[in-house]
This record gives sequence, structure tokens and C-alpha cells, in this order.
Amino acid sequence: MDSPNRADFFASLQPGGKYDGIVGIYRHNISADHIGIFDKELVSKLPSSVKWIAHNGAGYDQIDVVACKERGIFVSNTPGAVDDATATTALYLVISALRLFSHAERDLRAGKWKSSHKPGAAHDLTGRTLAILGLGGIGFRLAELAHAFPMRIVYHNRRKVENAPEWCEYYPAERLDEMLASADVLSVHVPLKKETEGLVDEKIIRKLKKGAVIVNTARGKVIDEAAMIRALEDGHLGGVGLDVYPDEPQVNPRLLEFPNATLLPHMGTETCDSQKKMEIRALKNLRDFLTKGKGEDLVPEYKQ
Amino acid sequence: MVPRILICGDIEWAQKECDDLFNGLAELVHMDSPDRADFLANSRPGGKYDSIVGIYHRGGRTAARIGDLNKELISQLPGSVQWIASLGAGYDQIDIDACKERGIRVSNTPKAGDDATATTALYLIISALRLFSHAERDLRAGKWKSSHNPGAAHDLTGRTLAILGLGGIGLRLAELVRAFPMRVLYHNRRKVEHAPEYCEYYPAERLDEMLASADVLSVHVPLNRNTEGLVGEKMIRKLRKGAVIVNTARGKVIDEAALIRALEHGHLGAVGLDVFPDEPKVNPRLLDFPNATLLPHVGGATWETLRNMEIRALTNLRDFLTKGHGEDLVPEFRE
Repeated sequence: MDSPNRADFFASLQPGGKYDGIVGIYRHNISADHIGIFDKELVSKLPSSVKWIAHNGAGYDQIDVVACKERGIFVSNTPGAVDDATATTALYLVISALRLFSHAERDLRAGKWKSSHKPGAAHDLTGRTLAILGLGGIGFRLAELAHAFPMRIVYHNRRKVENAPEWCEYYPAERLDEMLASADVLSVHVPLKKETEGLVDEKIIRKLKKGAVIVNTARGKVIDEAAMIRALEDGHLGGVGLDVYPDEPQVNPRLLEFPNATLLPHMGTETCDSQKKMEIRALKNLRDFLTKGKGEDLVPEYKQ
Repeated sequence: MVPRILICGDIEWAQKECDDLFNGLAELVHMDSPDRADFLANSRPGGKYDSIVGIYHRGGRTAARIGDLNKELISQLPGSVQWIASLGAGYDQIDIDACKERGIRVSNTPKAGDDATATTALYLIISALRLFSHAERDLRAGKWKSSHNPGAAHDLTGRTLAILGLGGIGLRLAELVRAFPMRVLYHNRRKVEHAPEYCEYYPAERLDEMLASADVLSVHVPLNRNTEGLVGEKMIRKLRKGAVIVNTARGKVIDEAALIRALEHGHLGAVGLDVFPDEPKVNPRLLDFPNATLLPHVGGATWETLRNMEIRALTNLRDFLTKGHGEDLVPEFRE
């Protein structure tokens, strides 16, 4: 796909166009830079021959799955392949936020050594409590890494994860407040959809104990950014570690002002090792669709 | 007469424990000399620090005023001094030979800082392999991730970590990386008998082999005569191209010029440093490398750890007073 823009893409999808007659699509979010996201409009313009979209990535919020379903198009993502790299990123952000390392490095680079570092506000991980919101592949991988210290692991999920180890303590919706009150760190690992947009809101943030830390490697929009910023301003949150933002690549300049913020530019899977695994996984899903009629990583919306 | 103890450096987190330990046992004298000359003057008979039997020593801020506890200073301590309880695992600021000559014993605080320092080393490993420091700097400069090269960034899982010095901190780091897992190799003066099976020992004869298999070399040896410049040109070049070096021990263990050359030539893929040869100064050349993560010696900088270190050092001093010796006598006195 070499269309420089959305208009050209749409034109090429027409009968007789370059992409006429295609049966499957391999898709990476980077394509949005040229042709925009796979919203209802774009999905409606796909040739009727299209039956499968193999998305590269765990998060597929850039694809309107409802519109795809209506047109009989299946969608797969690449769970598993992203777990390790993303969980490692989350662990890095947990350490950085608790230890205030980002600011310490910035001070060093500004010639100030550690003159404004406050050990009183910096904490070890061992013995502290990590609350995981969404115990999917990534959340569970983070639990494994954090349990090595050990951190105490508590989690909330729509349903209890039956094969999770004993040391992952489940908190159902009725006990969510209790979970939040015991957390030193809240790490976000839910996909972005209608039900999760703004999930981590003023209420949830304020249920955390004063000084708690929030880490987000999922999607920016899952957190109410204004509420999070207020909680940083009044010192309710001890710090944040963010890899994702509501409107990437834009970053709210207000976030840059907090010394206790560690900010990464969506680096969760940015290694050649993981990117290769993800490409292979997405291509395999597409290949399996051609040879077997379906790929393994059909997204949950089709299994309901 | 109640024994007098000199406190060099503030007791920030364990004031209550300090009171409990020494109440009725010793008189605590606070070292308030603004410079070395004043300190030496007050160490003479009749001076403020006359007849002290023990010293609680916290480097850093103390050094800023009176300098290191080198031969010159040690030789002019009151003849009554018998014990120096140093805070922290590293005690390179104290001239041990000079202490031995004067019959002064020295203790440190091993273990108390293992977890916090190993966690710092893990953070530096992740940052160096994943090139996170530069990514954050780019974001803060408004560039998002435009100069990040995923081809040069790597996951930890399945890669090999070589630990130089399997003491408390090195062993703790091995535990943490085992969760990924990373393969763990180590070199130590002697094989560590109680180390878990997954820690593969490489004696001196096989050091080159260890270096050639490492994706990450993490330094965990104390600084002394034998280890200064240990990680030099030869050792660095035995690492494979693209390997990463992490240092949470002491800056002088690494030959900084050799390290910088290896970064310039692209032999090293990245470095993660918490310590430097001449702190608080940092060689400005290090700031030029996008693939360097640099922390200002914050390896043990959490209040829980600092508090534990303070308690440990004070306990060593108290035990010297009540039992004649503290538990954490440094290895040089046990030979």
C-alpha cells in the first residue's frame, strides 16, 4: 500500500483500482499517518472481496470493529507478541515513578547533580503493592516481573482469571475501592474501547492513597488526563509513568512541568526483537486465513 | 566517663533509633567543622573531638567539608579512636591501611542497600537496552520518538547478563533479572558457593569467554587498589559489539576514557551509569551520547534504605561499645 493520502487510497480501492480484488489486509498503526484510521468511512469503502484484516499490535482501537463485522470482515491482532516488551516498559515506569529517576537524570544533565532529589519521596518496590487494571497478557507479564521483588499483586478484571497464580489477588467490581486504597502503584492494562474510555477518572484516582503512583502503557484515553493532572498539581499522586497519551504524538505540555513524571513516547514494543515477533504474528494470522479460513488471533468481539 | 562518639553527617531518618541505641551508653558529639583545618585542630588534645572512641561516618556531605578519611586525616585523629562505622556498602573514602596502622577498625553496612541498588542497576539495564533515556529526552524536546532506532533497542528476555562481583548487590540483581529470564554469568575472585544454580561462574581463566557472551556487563565490585580501572580498554573490547555496560558500584572501577572511546566508536551499544570517577562532577562528554543513561548516585536513595543503613551503622558502633566489635567489620580486617 503506497497511497500518500486517504483520497488516493479510496480511489485505489475502487473497481479497476490498484487494490481492487484484495482479500486480506496487513495493517500497522503507522499507516494512519498517510491514510488515517480504519473508521466506519474507510471500512465502508473496502472492496467486498476483503475478508480479513490482520492488525499488527495488541491495541486495535484504530479499527472500527463494528463496521467490519457489518461487512463480514474479520479482524485479528497480535496478543502475546507484545507482552514482554510492554510489560518491561511498564516495570521501567514503575521503578522510575517510585524512585523519581527521571527527574534525577534531568537534574544531572542540567548540571545540578542530585540537589533537588528527595529520598523522602522515593520508595523501594519490594514489599509495596501493585494494582493491575486488566490482567491480560501484558498485565500478567508485569505481575511476574514485579513479583520477583516481591511486590504484592492485586488486580481487577471483568472476570477472575482462573489460571492466574495464587499470588495474584482478585478484586471484583464490588471491591474495587478496597483494591485502590491498598495500592502504592496502579498500572493500566485494559484495551481502549467505549467502556474503558475515561475509566481511570477523578473518582478512581481519588480512591488511591495519597502519594500513590499511576503507570499507563495501554492507551492514553483510558485515563481522564485532566483529572490526573489535577491530582499531580495538588500532590495527591506521588508521580506518574506514562508511555501513552490521548492524542499522540501530541503531549499535554502541562505534563512536562511535573518533576515526578516519567514520560516515554509510546515505546512499549519499540525493539527490533518484538517488532519482528509482531510482524510474524500478524502475517501468520493472514496466512492462516488463506490456508485454513481463519487466523488464531481473531479479536474478542467476534467470539461473543 | 561516658564514651564519646563523633557523628560525621546527619542522622536523617533514624534519630529515634539513634537515641535508643546510645541512651545512657555514650555521649554523641556532632561534627560541625566547616573545613578540614578546623577538624584537625579540634582533633588535638583539648579540642572538641578530643577523646572520642568511635566515629559514625557518612560520606558525601562530610567529604564536602573535611574531605575523605585519607592517610593525612586518619593520622591526626585522637589516639582514643578505635572504630569507624561507615554508612553504605562502599568505603573507598576511608584509607584502610592508615586505619590498620593506628589500630582503628572499620565497619560498613552491607545488605541494607542491596535491594535499592540492584533495583537501580535493573533500571539502568532496561534503559540502556531499550534506549529509554534518549526517548524521554526526545519527547521532552517536542520530537516524540523521531530519532529512536528500534533496530538498536532490545528486549531483556533471553539475553545474557554478566555480573562482575557476586556480592549482595550482584546476587540481588541476578534474582531480579532471572524473572525475565536473562541468562546470568558472573566473575568473582572466588566461586560463590551459596549462589543459585542459574548463576554460572566464570573464573579468571575464562573471563574472556564470559565477556564475549555478555549482552550486558554490570559492575558490582568495591573500589580498592585491585579494582581501580579494572574495567579497562582490554575488558571493554572483549565484549561483543553492541554490548551494554552498567555501573552502580564506583566510577573509578571503569577506565572512563576507554569507556568513552568505546561509545564513540560504536563498540558499546549503550551505557547506564549511577556513579562517576569524580562526583559530583560528570564528564561532559558523557552527556553527548544519546545512548547513555546517567543517574546522580541515587542507587540507595530511598528513605527506607537510608534509614536501614543509618540504623546498621549506628548498631555497629553500639556493638563496638558493648561487645568490643561490630558485626560488619570490613573484609580487610579479617584477612
